[in-house]
Formats: sequence, C-alpha cells, structure tokens
Amino acid sequence: MSTGDTGSTGSPASPVPRRSPRIRAFGLRTRLLLAFLLVAAVSAGTTAALTYREARTAVLQTAQDTAVSSFREQVQQRGFGLPVREDGGGLEEVLRDIARKGKPHPWVVFAEYGSVRASSGENPVSTVITPELRRAARADPHGSFERVVKDGVPYLTIAMPTVFKTGPDNLLPSGLVLYAVMPMTDEQVNVDALLMAARDGALPGLAVALIPGLIAARSVLRPVRELRQAAGSMGSGRLDTRIPVRGSDELADLAHTFNESAAQLERSVRELREAEARARRFASDVSHELRTPLAGMLAVTEVLDEDADGLDADTARAVRLVSAETGKLAVLVEDLMEISRFDAGAAELNTDEVDVGEAIRKSLDNRHWTDDRVRTDLPTGIRARLDPRRFDLVIANLVGNALRHGSAPVAICLRTETRSADTDVLITEVTDSGPGIRPDSLPHIFDRFYKADAARTRSAGSGLGLAITLENVKLHGGTIHAGNLPEGGAVFTVEIPLRVEGAGG
Amino acid sequence: MRRARRLRSTALALVVPVAAMLPLLGGCGIPETDVIEAGGPASVQAFFNRDSDMLLFFRAPDGGMSPVIRTPDRDPGATAGPIPTEKIIQALLDGPRDEDRAAGLTTALPAPGTGPTIEVDPSPGRVTTRLPLSVKNLNAAALRQLTCTIAYSEDPDGQAVVQLTGHDGASRSGTCGLAL
Repeated sequence: MSTGDTGSTGSPASPVPRRSPRIRAFGLRTRLLLAFLLVAAVSAGTTAALTYREARTAVLQTAQDTAVSSFREQVQQRGFGLPVREDGGGLEEVLRDIARKGKPHPWVVFAEYGSVRASSGENPVSTVITPELRRAARADPHGSFERVVKDGVPYLTIAMPTVFKTGPDNLLPSGLVLYAVMPMTDEQVNVDALLMAARDGALPGLAVALIPGLIAARSVLRPVRELRQAAGSMGSGRLDTRIPVRGSDELADLAHTFNESAAQLERSVRELREAEARARRFASDVSHELRTPLAGMLAVTEVLDEDADGLDADTARAVRLVSAETGKLAVLVEDLMEISRFDAGAAELNTDEVDVGEAIRKSLDNRHWTDDRVRTDLPTGIRARLDPRRFDLVIANLVGNALRHGSAPVAICLRTETRSADTDVLITEVTDSGPGIRPDSLPHIFDRFYKADAARTRSAGSGLGLAITLENVKLHGGTIHAGNLPEGGAVFTVEIPLRVEGAGG
Repeated sequence: MRRARRLRSTALALVVPVAAMLPLLGGCGIPETDVIEAGGPASVQAFFNRDSDMLLFFRAPDGGMSPVIRTPDRDPGATAGPIPTEKIIQALLDGPRDEDRAAGLTTALPAPGTGPTIEVDPSPGRVTTRLPLSVKNLNAAALRQLTCTIAYSEDPDGQAVVQLTGHDGASRSGTCGLAL
C-alpha cells in the first residue's frame, strides 16, 4: 500500500474517466463509412460521367450529322444563277424554303456571295457564325460545322460552299457559300435530361453504398467492442475474461492473442499471489512459533526481575536488559501477528455502538495519560458504531506516538462533519507540540518499520504501530492523514464515516 | 510530425480520386467545338450550257475568283456550237456588267486598248493567245482572270495550259487550277 505525498491513505482510487461516446467524429465507423462512400462516389461518379459523355456525344453527333447531310441535300436541290443577284432573284425565297425544311429543327440560312448577303431571317448577316468557319469555307470547298455557344444558347453552324458543273464530270466552286444556323435547344434539353439521369442514378447508388458500409463497420466494430469490454473487465480484476474467437481474420488473431496474454497474465498474477501468500504465511508462522518460547522467556525474565535485587550489580543490569528486550520482542511479535491477520484478511470488525468521547477518555485512563500532558476536547453524546478494541488501539497508538516522538502537551480533538453526499464523518485529531514530521518522511510515515529519525533506530515502539493504526482505520472504512501544523507540531487526523457497519475487512 | 504526415496522406487519398474525376465531369451541357470538316461541298444547278453560255471570271471582294455565267444574244444565223473564245475574251475585257457589280464583283484587267485583234490558237492541252493589251503590267488577279476564262472556254475541265502574249511582246503562261 503506497501512500500519498501528504501521507493520506485509504482514499478510494478515483476511476479513470472512460471515453466511450457511441459515435465519434473520426471513429472507426465514420472512417469506414467515409471510405465506402468515397469508393462508391468515385465509381458511381466515373460511371455516370462516362455514360453521360458518351450519350451526349451520341445525341450531338446524331443531330449534327442529320443537320449537315440534310442541309447539303437541300442546297443541292436548288439552282442559282451566276452572278447571284441580291434583289429580284428570289434568293431570300430560296433561303426561306431551305430553312423551312431544316432537319432536325428549322434553320436560319444565310447566303454569302461576293458582297451579297442574304438570309432567311431578319438579319442578312449572322452574329453566330465565326470568322474561322467563314475562312474554312472560303479556303477549301468542304462542308464544315462548328458548335458555338452564344449567350448560353448552343448553336450548330454549318458552312456549305457550293460548286456547279462545267462539264459532265467537272465541278467549279461557284463562290456562293450557304450557312445554316440551328439552335440546339432540344439537344440541350436532352443532354440536361441525361445529366439528371446520371445524377439521379449516382445518388441512390451512394445511398445504397451506405448499407454495406454500415455492415462492414459493424463487423469490424463488434469484435473491437468485445475487445474493449474484455480489456475493461480484465482491468477491473477479472483475469479469467476471454473473448470468443470468430473466423480467421486479423481481428480473430487479435482476440486469440488477447486470450493468450490474458491467460499468461492470470498465471503470473496467480504465481505472484501465491508467493505473496507464502511470504505472509511465513511471517505469520514465524510469529506464531516465536510466541510460545517467548511466553516461557517472559515468565522466566519476570522471575529473574524479581530476584535481580539480590544479584550483584553487573548481573542485575544484564538481567534487567534481557527482561526489557524480551518484553519488546513480545510486543513486536504481537504486532507482527496483528499485521499478519490484516494481510491475511482475517481481521474482523466487532462493532458496537459507543460514545466516542467516553471511549477515548477510557483509553487515556487505561494508560494513565490523565495528567496535563494530554489535553482533550471531547464533546459528549457523539455516538458511532466502532470496534471498541481497535479504536482504543488507534487512539493509544497515536497519543503514544505523539508523546514519544513529539512533545507534550498532546491535544485530542473530536468532532463530526457533514461531507458531501449526505455522509457524516467522525473526525479525531491528535496534535502534539513537537517539531513536527520532516516533509520527506511524510509519505512513508505509515510504512512498516519506517523510522522517521534514522539515528533513533532503537525506539520503544515496534515500528509497526502506525501501520497497524492505518489498517485499523481502513477496516472502519475511514482514512488517516498525517501532517504538520503551520506553527509546528504533527497532526494526525482520523476520519471514520458514521453509521457505517462492517466496512472494509 | 507523424500526425501531419497522416493528414497529408489522408488528404492525398481524397484529392487523387477527385482530381481523377474532374476531367470526366468537365463540361456539362453542350460544349463549343472547333471548325470540323464534314463532307464535300454542295453541288448546285447553275444552268450552265457550254453551247450557249460563256463563263467569265471576275474578282470577288475577298480576292478570290468568281465565275459568272453570261448568255450573249446570238446573232441570228450564227453557227450553233460553243461561243468562240475570242468573243469570250472580248466580253471579259469589257468588264463586269451592272448585275456583276451589284454582287461586288470587279475586274483587275485594264480597259482594252485599240490594237491587234485577239487571236486564239488552241492545241491539245495548250492554248496560245494574243491579246490587245500589255501583259507585262498585269497583276496576278488579272492574269488569273484571263487564264481561267480562256481555259474554261476551250475545255470543260479548265486544265489546259494558257499562254498569254500581249502587244508588248511579253508572254505569260499558266493554268487556272480552280477545278476540284
């Protein structure tokens, strides 16, 4: 039993706060779900994007091919006089006719020849046709198209240079270039619908991916949770805790390793306990074995003591020394046996309801500490359930220590206090007027055979007094506290909860 | 240090797939394109009849050659068949008419001077002409006008090599090269 810095002992160890909120910000479950979602998002997104692109290309390709080939077909059915006349030649009429027959949607058709500009619409010159398309149409006589987005509206612009026959097999560029401009609004609607479909397909995919994600997280988290519970129960002392090993994955390996470690730990702890028990039994046996010869020796030394006066001076001194040391040995053996009983857990609390002040006064009377070396402040009427014998030992030990190591006067003060959680405690303070306890001794003051003053190796006590006192207080469910007064002098404070029966032990 | 590295690797694991998906997502809606060639030109009816029409080449506003079909009034009693090349050259030298000018067509040729008459000497694949103007001072457009008009009047495919000789004695030869 280790003691605290201020010599306080017996306070229950505060439990380690457990961090176990069910859902953590970046817990295993969240991470697994995120990973699943990411994979699902990437695959669903890639599939949707690729499908969308292909479908869009197909939609646009179909519209473009239809438009270009039907435009060429329409133009080829027309005749144009050369030079093309802007006025009176019926050019706009022809253009309007072509425009009406536009596929897949009506076009606006523009004609450019020399400086002649005409169209089927209101403006003779299109604002959508780019210079690049014009240049391409002029540079070499090939049909060509270009998709243009103007003010958010996509247009298909087609340039169609015309040629005419100069002979059965001979073609000559006529210089007339016809342009068709077709707004692709329908295609845009279709493409937008594709995008919607891709999105509406991908999002439920993501939602569906949550289900295997949750299942996978569960399958990982359940063994982890079992492991945590098992570790917790092992920490609280149940060393026989084992985890069921399921399957053959890494978590099963972990559970297996955990079980093996637990078994080894259990074995080690058992061996340690056995060794400790052996050691205690040994101390107990030794004290028992010593008691019988000591009893004989005590009887002999008593007789010798009585007859010492009749011996010569040297022999008498030797006889008295042997007698005194034998008495000390007897006290030590008694204390050792008492401590062995505590260690073995054999110490029992025989409680009785007593008037505490009266009990303390009786203790002092029994030891003849009734002169003014001991001052008392003992209110009457404080009743508590205590083991009178053990409480007497505690008081006697503390007062005896104070008289022996501190200096008179020694004050005993008794009071009750109400602590939190509606528990009253009985507080007994023993104060001496000596120099106090050295700070470096304070943590060890309750250790067995600890001597606060290294030079005084042979004191009257056995060195077990405070250890036994501590055990007695603990048996009552209380605490004992050693400290120093600011003006010097040691203070021992014993706190025993009132109305506690059969605590400890 | 380790934490930073872990954060970085997590960020990497997030960024890489997203970056890989970006080009796929790029461009919703209908994107623009470059100019894409799509098939040949449209062959239209120009009502050209070699037996009654002549084909003259004038200069378009963009600098190209624009063919013009002109149907001359036939002298009553003239022989049927193609119009003589001399007459076509004379019509070219006379320049664009009102309807040609209305379409923005011009000529690069100087007004014809008085001088020797036009002589045409066709042989297979080659036409030699004498012209009543100074060939030396003609620019490229003018030469092309003459060459194409002469080549197409001699031959429906316009492939013949045309040699032009002016009254100044200068001589040029070339092909039209407008046919497809």
